[in-house]
Formats: sequence, C-alpha cells, structure tokens
Amino acid sequence: MKNLLILTLVMLLTACGTVRKVESGANLVGERMSIKVDGNWNHLDFPGIKPAQIWTMEGVTIDELLVYSGIRDGQIMHPDSPAGEKRKDFVFRKTMQTEEIVSMLEGVLSRDGSSFKLRKLEPFPFGGRKGFRFEYERVRKIDNVQMRGVGFGAIDKDELFALVYQAPRLTFFPRHQSRIETIAKAVSIK
Amino acid sequence: MKRRQLLAAGCACCAGVIAGRAWGQTAPDYLAPQRFQRPDLSTDEGGLWAMMDREEKALRRSPLVLRDARLTTYVQDLACRLSAGHCPDIRIFLVRTPQFNASMAPNGMLQIWTGLLLRMENEAQLAAVIGHEIGHYLQRHSVERLRDIKSRAAAGQVLALFGLAGAIGQLAVLAGSFAYSRDHEHEADRIGAYLMHRAGYPVAESAAVWSNLLDEARAREGEEPSQSSPLFATHPVPPERRDNLAQLAKLLPGGADGKDRYVEHTAHLLDEWLQDEIKRGQYAESLVLLSRRIDAGSAPDLMRYYRGEVHRLRGQAGDHDLAWNDYQAAAAGAAPPPPAFRGIGLVARQRGQKDEARHAFARYLDLAPDAPDAALIQSYITELSS
Repeated sequence: MKNLLILTLVMLLTACGTVRKVESGANLVGERMSIKVDGNWNHLDFPGIKPAQIWTMEGVTIDELLVYSGIRDGQIMHPDSPAGEKRKDFVFRKTMQTEEIVSMLEGVLSRDGSSFKLRKLEPFPFGGRKGFRFEYERVRKIDNVQMRGVGFGAIDKDELFALVYQAPRLTFFPRHQSRIETIAKAVSIK
Repeated sequence: MKRRQLLAAGCACCAGVIAGRAWGQTAPDYLAPQRFQRPDLSTDEGGLWAMMDREEKALRRSPLVLRDARLTTYVQDLACRLSAGHCPDIRIFLVRTPQFNASMAPNGMLQIWTGLLLRMENEAQLAAVIGHEIGHYLQRHSVERLRDIKSRAAAGQVLALFGLAGAIGQLAVLAGSFAYSRDHEHEADRIGAYLMHRAGYPVAESAAVWSNLLDEARAREGEEPSQSSPLFATHPVPPERRDNLAQLAKLLPGGADGKDRYVEHTAHLLDEWLQDEIKRGQYAESLVLLSRRIDAGSAPDLMRYYRGEVHRLRGQAGDHDLAWNDYQAAAAGAAPPPPAFRGIGLVARQRGQKDEARHAFARYLDLAPDAPDAALIQSYITELSS
C-alpha cells in the first residue's frame, strides 16, 4: 500500500486524480456490485489504482476501503507501479480457493514491505454468495503505523468481488468497524 | 573532524586503493581508520549524521524491528568481530522485511532485513554481508556519495525548493536513495573479504552469497537479473562480483563457516520469515531458494511445506501435483508443520478426494485448533461430510 499511498498523493498533487463524494444509499460499482453506504465517504480515482477503487472517510493516509468488483480470470491485481512499471506478481484465477484469494490479497497488502498477520478467516455470506471474511493486522512500512483490517469477498460467475478496509488500530479502525460490517452485509451482486 | 582522524581516514583510503591495485596478485591488507568522532552539525557530514540519527530514533520504535534479544546479540557480536576496532559505534537493527537488503549509515546504524537473514546458509555468509557494509562505513562512502549528489545540477533544485535548512536533510534522503558507485561496491567487497578472513571465515562464502542470489534472479521468467532486481541493476554485475570474490578466496584461504551456530540462532524464526517470503509473490525466486535449502538438508519438513505452498499458490499446470508431493513429504517428516495437513486437504478437496481432504483437515485442526482459519477449515469438514 505504500506505493498506492505515494501514487495517490502524487496524483492528487498533480491534479491527475479525482475525488468525489460517494452518495448515501446504493452505489453501483462496476457492472454488478451494489454497495449501500451512509456517512461521508469519498471516492478517489487515479491511474494505477485499478482494478480497485479506493474509498475513504478520514482521508486516504488514514483509512481506506478497497473495492474490487468483477475481477476477471487472469486479471492482474494493481499492475501499475508509481514508476510506471508493469507488475504481474498477483493474478486472480477463477479456480482459486478462499485461502488462495486471501493469500493474494495478503501479497497485495504487503508488497511494499509492510508486515501482515492474518487473525481470522471464516465463511461469510457476501452479496448473497458463499463467501469469506478475514481480519488482519498490518504494520505499514512507510510510517510504521499499526493498522487493523477486515476483508470480505466471494467469487460469482468466475469473477471476484471483495471489500478490504483498513485503518490505524487504536482509534480509527474501532470507530468504523461496525459501519464496515454493515456495508459488507448489505452488498448485493447482480 | 580532528586532524588525527583525517589522517587516519586518508591512510585508510590509501590502503584501500593500494589493496585494490594489488588485487588478484597478492593477499590484500587493509588498515582501518580510527573510530570516527561525531562531525560538526554545520558540515554536510554532520547533517547526514543528524538525519540518520532521526532515522535511527524512528527505527528504534518501529514494530518492524525484530525484538529477539538472543539473535540481535549474536549478530552484534559477529559485527564486533568484523569491526576493526569500531565495535562501540555499531548498532544492529534486524528489520522484518522479506527483501534481501542490508545497509549501514554513517552514524553506525546497521540495518539487516530478514529476507537477507533467510537467505544466509551459515555465519560466514552473514559475516560477508556485514563485512561489506562495514567496508562502506569505514571508507565513509555515504559521505562521498552525498558530496557527489551535491555537485549535481539536480541538487540545486532541491536547495531552491527547501532552502538551506532543509537542504542537508533532503540530500541525505537522496544519498540514501541512490546506490553506491561500482568502485565503492568493489572496495567494500575487498574490505569485507579481508575483515571476514581476519575473523576466521572462509571468503569463498561471500562468492556463494552472490551466486545464490544470481540463481534466484535468473529464475524470474524472461528477465535478465539486471532488469528483474533493483539490487542487480545498481550493483556491479553479479557474475563479475562473484568471480572477483572467488578469486579473493584463493588469496585468503582457510576459515570455518559457522553453520551450526547460525542455524542454532535462527531456526526458531524460519517459519515467520518463510511466511513473509511467499507473500512476496515471487514464486520462481522462492522455489529456487526453497529447493536449495531442501537439497542442503536444512529444516527439510518446513522447507518442503513452504515449497508446497508456493506451488499451490502459483497454480500453474502441474503445480498442484508438485504441491501434493511436498505436503506429503513434509507431513511424513520428523517434525511435520501442522499446515502441511491443511495443504493436503486443500489439494485433495480441489481434486474431489473427499475422504482424504476431510481426514487431512481434521488432522490439521487437531494439531492447530487455534489456527486463524480454523472456522473456515471446520466449514470444509462439514461440507465434505454432508
């Protein structure tokens, strides 16, 4: 996430990125996933963040909700580095089992040298599908901030849908965890 | 810096040059400078030290620093034996990061990342890396690098942006972000070889470090090592470096590799380091590393389990069969890691071998009832039983 963080800041400073308010209520992400939110969410969009969207309440250096909608078989996770290089370390495959999807997300979240410790992995109905939920701890390499995170996901029609939320563990994560759980329970996949 | 230290440093530089010229012909020697005194803050070197002091203060509090007193003391003692009298000025920080890296700041802060420790096969290889970093430190290469950067046009822009007060700090950051020159790297290799020889280690192990790294880098498909690894893009070409060090080893014979001591101090951390290693997603490199360790008979059950994990996660044609074989071998070993049974269960489940999957998952939960994924695995058992 360090690279994503740097890229975010650079793109915002150079006005290449956009920030827009996420409206309360149902928001269609991609073609098939609908996320119902309340509160003051902002959606940041800039080159390089794909295939995810980043939403934040407190600001992207503090908390972030990564939204993955309709990731296809063979699609590379976050292929563009801030240096403009193409990276292909992590690729989604439709045959992945739950552990493999979570390992892939672990890899994405620790690609910058951050540490990642899985705390819990359990079944979870996500978007009406048989999915999973996981909790983790992460020490962000760039500033040594200790984060907590929670993720949800499911595969439907060979496509991956997932939410991953993380924030500093002492104040911000507890402040928003129940809100995130509510959002995850209300996700619908068409 | 006092006149005496300047003279000593100058002598040391000369000694390095002389040693360099004589390289390949006679056994080199190296006269280390006396211990450095803190430079005046108004100088560029003083600014660099101050910057590194701040970095060290932050690092000291970092949760990424390994809090393993026994291992840290072991590495600190090793550094002291190599330090040519600078032991009181060297402070070791072992940092939990899975990449291969070590660096020594001019103020004596020596960082070693766990990805490097994982790749060391014995004490002599670690001595080679630490000796190399101490070589940079003794020759004050980072200060030379800082001055080199200062002289570039780009530095003028930095000065303009941040003003004089911020200039030293910004240059220090720049200095830290650029590689040493190839001459510096060669010189540090030579000094490191001499220091490790004097401490009783075989210099051939320093060539082995580069040889092993080269094997890993070459495993990345379709990429030359200089393209696949920043380490190789900025350092001297590994084959040249490996060959130079092998040549040196002939001039500096003897020594013991200290493998048993290294294993004794690191074995309990291997599992954690290997978890971090496979999260890198550099499966081809990890397979080379793990296969080398299996061939060497080092913690074979653990290594086989992780090689199985790498195959399963990579998921190419035939990988599940390879994973299956490794999981089975790990599970049948003298010290089977509990997740090896989970691995068997996952592959069996994917193959539709319900009974085998269920039994393997049950065995995993018997051995690791508090595993983070226990609830998910239990749901698999339920599903397979229905």
